[in-house]
Amino acid sequence: MSTTTVGDPPASAVRAKRWHKARRSLEGVSFILPNFLGFGLLTLGPVVALFYISFTNWNVFGTAKWIGLDNFTRLLADKSFHRALLNTLYYSALHIPLTLVLSLGLALLLNRELRGVAFFRTAAFFPYITSIVAIAIAWNLLFSKDAGPLNQILGLFGVDDPPGWTASSDWAMPAVIIVGVWREMGYYMLLFLAGLQTVPPELHEAARIDGATAWQRFRNVTLPCLRPTTFFVTVMLTIGSFKVFDLILVMTNGGPGQSTLVLSQYIYQKGLVENRFGYASAISVVLFALCMLVTVVQFAVNRRRAA
Amino acid sequence: MQRRHPRRTVIAAAVAALALVATACGSGGGSDSGGPVTLSMSAWSLNSTPEFKKLAETFHAQNPDITVEFKEYDPTNYDTQLTADLAAGSGPDVFVLKTLKHFFTYQSGEQLLDVSDVAGGLGGDVNGLGNYEVDGATFAIPYRQDSWYLYYNKDLFAKAGVTPPDATWTWAQYETATTDLDTGLKAAGSPAKAAYQHVWQSTVQGLALAQSPGAELTSGDYGYLKPYYERALEQQASGEQVDYGTATTNTLQYQAQFGTQQAATMVMGSWYVATLVAQQKSGDAQAFQWGFAPAPQRDESTKDKPVTFGDPTGMGINAGIDEGKVAAAKKFLAFAAGEGGAAALASIGITPATLSDSVTKAYFEVPGVPTDELSRFAFENHETKAENPVSPMTAALQNILLETHSAIMSGSTPVDEALQQAGTRAREEVIEAQ
Repeated sequence: MSTTTVGDPPASAVRAKRWHKARRSLEGVSFILPNFLGFGLLTLGPVVALFYISFTNWNVFGTAKWIGLDNFTRLLADKSFHRALLNTLYYSALHIPLTLVLSLGLALLLNRELRGVAFFRTAAFFPYITSIVAIAIAWNLLFSKDAGPLNQILGLFGVDDPPGWTASSDWAMPAVIIVGVWREMGYYMLLFLAGLQTVPPELHEAARIDGATAWQRFRNVTLPCLRPTTFFVTVMLTIGSFKVFDLILVMTNGGPGQSTLVLSQYIYQKGLVENRFGYASAISVVLFALCMLVTVVQFAVNRRRAA
Repeated sequence: MQRRHPRRTVIAAAVAALALVATACGSGGGSDSGGPVTLSMSAWSLNSTPEFKKLAETFHAQNPDITVEFKEYDPTNYDTQLTADLAAGSGPDVFVLKTLKHFFTYQSGEQLLDVSDVAGGLGGDVNGLGNYEVDGATFAIPYRQDSWYLYYNKDLFAKAGVTPPDATWTWAQYETATTDLDTGLKAAGSPAKAAYQHVWQSTVQGLALAQSPGAELTSGDYGYLKPYYERALEQQASGEQVDYGTATTNTLQYQAQFGTQQAATMVMGSWYVATLVAQQKSGDAQAFQWGFAPAPQRDESTKDKPVTFGDPTGMGINAGIDEGKVAAAKKFLAFAAGEGGAAALASIGITPATLSDSVTKAYFEVPGVPTDELSRFAFENHETKAENPVSPMTAALQNILLETHSAIMSGSTPVDEALQQAGTRAREEVIEAQ
């Protein structure tokens, strides 16, 4: 019987192994490089530039003038900014819970083996992929004070003084929220439907055998299992609500008065309409900080619950 | 297998690239020696805005060595896209200043070449030229100068039994006429309204600023808007015109309101003449007798030269233009603002910046343009004041007044309160911040 002594591998073998490893790394990097380059060039670069510009006075032409914290100091006293911030919070405070509840309800409703369920799922998702301009025009017609079907229906129920909807400073924001919820609940319904597929059926079965009611099964089985999906949906909804822009721009253009002016539109106004890119960047930084703060809080709360 | 020669390939590629760059530079259209020149010019909606092609083709016919090519922008986002191009150094050689509101941005941003020599050669007949002067130098040349008129439907006036406007109508007379029209049209069984006021802030604020003595956009005092808003609110409350809420929620088009005889009168800019003529020809508007009169006046003191408003549309030369093209670009600007460009524009129903007898003749020879005395008077006699006086504050102040307009017209805020808020905001957010 002969024995084999294992010594150090030859240098050429080590070099070959290293080359092989490096080559594999290079191959890997080459796959992700285009994405990273795109991200760096189109996302990271502008974001870094945004922070710099927020400390300057710049009208897009020529050199930006460094003015330190002046833009942020002015924001503190800017009543229009305060109004836009409050309107953004108002929109988010209603839009987030309403969309969450309705999309989950819709998902539960359409998570059954019903005839034509695929059609209803598609129908619910359809508003999300429809042009926002078309949606705004159609809903504006529905909201028309005198001739709109919505107020005519309210009239049938005895409402003598129906709301002015988008032409009323009190009702414009609720009108926009209604359309926003209607448009987005189909998308979040799909996410919840995907989440519902991950709920083990045996848990429901066991609960049913133990005599749990439908509500108890939903509360103690479905909801805990849906926690990751709910968390994801909440985070996405929060960010989406804070930066709502296009729907409001097309439906009300921030009016009447400033009743639906939100932060994103204020950024657009100051930047692209008034060419005050430094000031607009400062508002963007505040919006970014707001989104970041709320998201971090959500992550912290979620982690505590999961622990 | 054939062996590759990487070094040779790289050298060949570099030579080819250099050759291409050299060729590209050589074909840029610039010329110092009087050879052919190609100018690029900004434009929008080329299919529905014939003025650009008309100017370029007429100019080229007179100057075969100079060709004007277009760089088309989205009409809604024109200034945003143009600003981006100019900031990136890829703007067109000649660019149109679509709204006076943004002139200050381009001028203060040093994007416009000094064209005082062109202005000096034009004489004093070009309307709106003064709007482009800064510190004694001129930075753009107006080629069209729109003004606002009162359009009226002669058939609907006849149906309602109301005397059509004359050249001396005051707002008080206009109010009486719309009340009579409302009654007369209803009695005749017509569904048409007496008036249509479009949702733009201009429809109220433009005339108020132009006609009110002492009114200044940058003063922060907007009390001068009060009588104009009160009149507009009264008219919509009485049902003489479609209310603001209905017009916005139903996205009403002013062209359809007047062009399909749903309104007997409408205050609108002079560009609508060409639009209505074209729409009647294409069938998009109904066939009916119409004309235009001077916008109603504050009182009779301005009856000989009615005061109206409208911003000029100008052209400037990109400060970054190739030096070899400057002379050609200035020649084009002088043509566009001068008699030649004016006649070309008038022949397609556009109101040029230069008005003369021959231009007026060309304008009223366009088939479909009303040729009655009142329309001619309105075209030839008016004092047009700027809606957006050039100032670093104009864009921000107009934003505040836009919000004020929607607040008042929707009935959300009473007139006095809204105007007081607008003044406070203007002073705090814009005027004192300068």
